[in-house]
Amino acid sequence: MGVFDRLPPMDLMRSEKMCFVQLIIPAESSRVAVTYLGELGLLQFKDLNEDKSPFQRIFVNQVKRCAEMSRKLRFFSDQINKAGVRSSVRPALEPDIDLEELEARLGEHEHELLEMNTNSDKLQQTYNELLEFKLVLSKAGGILASSHNHAASAERELDENIYDNGVDEGNSYLLEQGMHQGSPGNSGVRFVSGIILKSKALAFERMLFRATRGNMLFNQAPAGEPVTDPISGEEVEKTVFVVSFSGEQAKTKILKICDSFGASCYPVPEEMVKQRQIFHEVSARLSDLEVTLDAGIQHRNKALESIGSQLWRWTIMVKKEKAVYDALNMLNFDVTKKCLVGEGWCPIFAKSQIKDCLQRATLHSNSQVGIIFHEMDTIESPPTYFRTDKFTNAFQEIVDAYGVARYQEANPAVYSVVTFPFLFAVMFGDWGHGICLLLGTLVLILREKKLSSQKLSSFMELAFGGRYVILLMAIFSIYCGLIYNEFFSVPFHIFGKSAYECREKSCSDAHTAGLIKVRDPYPFGVDPSWRGSRSELPFLNSLKMKMSIIMGVAQMNLGIVLSYFDARFHGNALDIRYQFIPQMIFLNSLFGYLALLILLKWCTGSQADLYHVMIYMFLDPAGDLGENQLFWGQKELQILLLLLALVAVPWMLFPKPFILKRLHKERFQGHTYRFLGTSEMDPDSEPDSARARHDDFNFSEVFVHQMIHSIEFVLGAVSNTASYLRLWALSLAHSELSTVFYEKLLLLAWGYDSLIVKLVGLIVFAFATAFILLMMETLSAFLHALRLHWVEFMNKFYHGDGYKFKPFSFALLADDED
Amino acid sequence: MGFLVTTIIFLLAGVAASLSTLLCCNRGPSTNLFHLTLVNTAVICCWMMYAIVYLAQMKPLINPILSGE
Repeated sequence: MGVFDRLPPMDLMRSEKMCFVQLIIPAESSRVAVTYLGELGLLQFKDLNEDKSPFQRIFVNQVKRCAEMSRKLRFFSDQINKAGVRSSVRPALEPDIDLEELEARLGEHEHELLEMNTNSDKLQQTYNELLEFKLVLSKAGGILASSHNHAASAERELDENIYDNGVDEGNSYLLEQGMHQGSPGNSGVRFVSGIILKSKALAFERMLFRATRGNMLFNQAPAGEPVTDPISGEEVEKTVFVVSFSGEQAKTKILKICDSFGASCYPVPEEMVKQRQIFHEVSARLSDLEVTLDAGIQHRNKALESIGSQLWRWTIMVKKEKAVYDALNMLNFDVTKKCLVGEGWCPIFAKSQIKDCLQRATLHSNSQVGIIFHEMDTIESPPTYFRTDKFTNAFQEIVDAYGVARYQEANPAVYSVVTFPFLFAVMFGDWGHGICLLLGTLVLILREKKLSSQKLSSFMELAFGGRYVILLMAIFSIYCGLIYNEFFSVPFHIFGKSAYECREKSCSDAHTAGLIKVRDPYPFGVDPSWRGSRSELPFLNSLKMKMSIIMGVAQMNLGIVLSYFDARFHGNALDIRYQFIPQMIFLNSLFGYLALLILLKWCTGSQADLYHVMIYMFLDPAGDLGENQLFWGQKELQILLLLLALVAVPWMLFPKPFILKRLHKERFQGHTYRFLGTSEMDPDSEPDSARARHDDFNFSEVFVHQMIHSIEFVLGAVSNTASYLRLWALSLAHSELSTVFYEKLLLLAWGYDSLIVKLVGLIVFAFATAFILLMMETLSAFLHALRLHWVEFMNKFYHGDGYKFKPFSFALLADDED
Repeated sequence: MGFLVTTIIFLLAGVAASLSTLLCCNRGPSTNLFHLTLVNTAVICCWMMYAIVYLAQMKPLINPILSGE
């Protein structure tokens, strides 16, 4: 064991050593200091003002200012997006401006933009109204022209209406007068023309009819093309109408009804000449307005462009400032109100960097007093910080998804980097599919730089983040595929001749008694003769099941050994003696023995039934083994192992709680006397935890905890070993799917003579392989390998109840916000 | 014999891979230890896979019976 002490500590095996530090910053250099600390990104501030609401904190005004500025920036970016202006991000040609200047500038720009927007809105409305007027002119002109031709029939209609509805005498007299007076084109009948939404036209007409008691003539013509409504700004279907009536009262009624229906009325002169005149005037005004509108839009777009080129810089600046003030809000003013006091966690290796940082801040802020930075003691458990690079980051995140490691606990990611892709490959083994995966992930890795700066869809982002995981998965899949001898389920004779041949030259009994083994086993991997034979499945199933058991026992042993190293690191001899040793004994005397039996059976070629052996080891240990005997002394060994396992269970259950109780009593025995002796107590001399835990040792709780832990281990030993059989199950499923696609799709299609059938078969085979085998099976095997790691491997040693180190860092801020 | 030879080949490959990792990416003792752990774990896993499949075929209890007529 001494050799392990002489080795250097392994990178990534345990989280970085952290220390709790206190900073005392004079008020004038506080902002600069926190900004530099944010750039360094290695200090996690502890929130000393947790119980205060956001409005009670010190720098609440600055935070509000920053929030207001970021609102203005968001407004600008909205406007830019709406206008569709594309601005290039110019490099920082302008000098850095400070926050007050930026605030003023932002205010100016916003005011300008809002003004421009209102102006252009008004102009646009006028423009739309004029367009409508033009439309009304043209359509109403048409209606009036045609109505003059029907003047006679209109006359008759009006007469009938008068007689039917009993209109006022005065009115009817006037109407009659008007009728008889007028020649076509110059009747005393007045009219109102306008435009209304098509959907409302019918109701409008009916309302008018009722209100004027039928004394009106309603002509309408659809506008033909969708018109932009001046008020709502949308394109709607409208109808031009002309209401002919007579009398003042009718006019007011009609106008009121037009108002209520939202119809816009435009004055249209009766005479054709005047109509044309006004038409020309309106067209001229429209073209003028168009020019003005265009100019306005250009002006606005230019302003937006100049804003847009700076927008990114400004946004980042404002975000940084807000973050700095949020961090400053976590600090406290001390009694003199001249310094800010802050506390936080930082890794020990970063202490000198932080000191440098703070010195620079003192210098740049021209402060007289330096910043005090010193370590403090605390009982809180430190955060967990792993320094990962782009390769190990994905694996660490996979482990963290289950639970962040406790401070300085053994990190399963170290072994998962290899075992996770390896177990994936055991379930995926096909070197053809592995090559496809490899090509796919190489594309991602080679375009790493370009893809990392782009914004990707969520699926692509997952795939891109895990590109190194998939790379290892692909490489191991190729290896396992070579071992299983499957290339899209086709075996090859790459490594030499098959070990099996026909009994005689004529191969007459190849389909009944089968081939015989004439040589040494196939040098690397599964013999290609098995593929397609009738006894393929019994052979492969037996092979893969036993392989799963052996791999499972190996990985679980690794987990228990890691718990030994953990206990050793923390100096916990109790755990080693009363947890590690009985766990090893229990697991290996049962399942390690099973693995040994498997290996022996393979090496000796015995016909022993291992199920029988294992079951009767429990049911009838003293019974005779008979033909299931694999080696001499097996019965005695089995009895011994059974006894060891039975002893191991109380060994891991009982001693630990009692010893813990005794240790606790010894440790705190003196303290009870001390409490009676002293009346004054210095709160700093005795850490809180000791006082808190003084009476806190609850024996029954500890005992129950230990019992649960032991039962979990004992029962888990059986269930976890069986759980590893999923390695067999998934690998069988993959192989069978692959075989089905190959035989029933490709071979079937290839059997036909027609080229089209062959092509179609090839395409369907390619799609089926890509979607079902490459995507679905990958996800499935990924998931199961993940489960095997999270549950069966990590529950042997991992606690996973830590919290992650989240330093105050501008780089992390950018990731968060996006 | 084939098994022993291949096992020795795996062993040599492991040693070679470890040495080349130490030579090409020498980044301090703790990082080296980490890389060595990865390489050796990979070699052990691969060898285990090969050994299991080879041992299972050394003295088989059944033999391939071709399907079809």
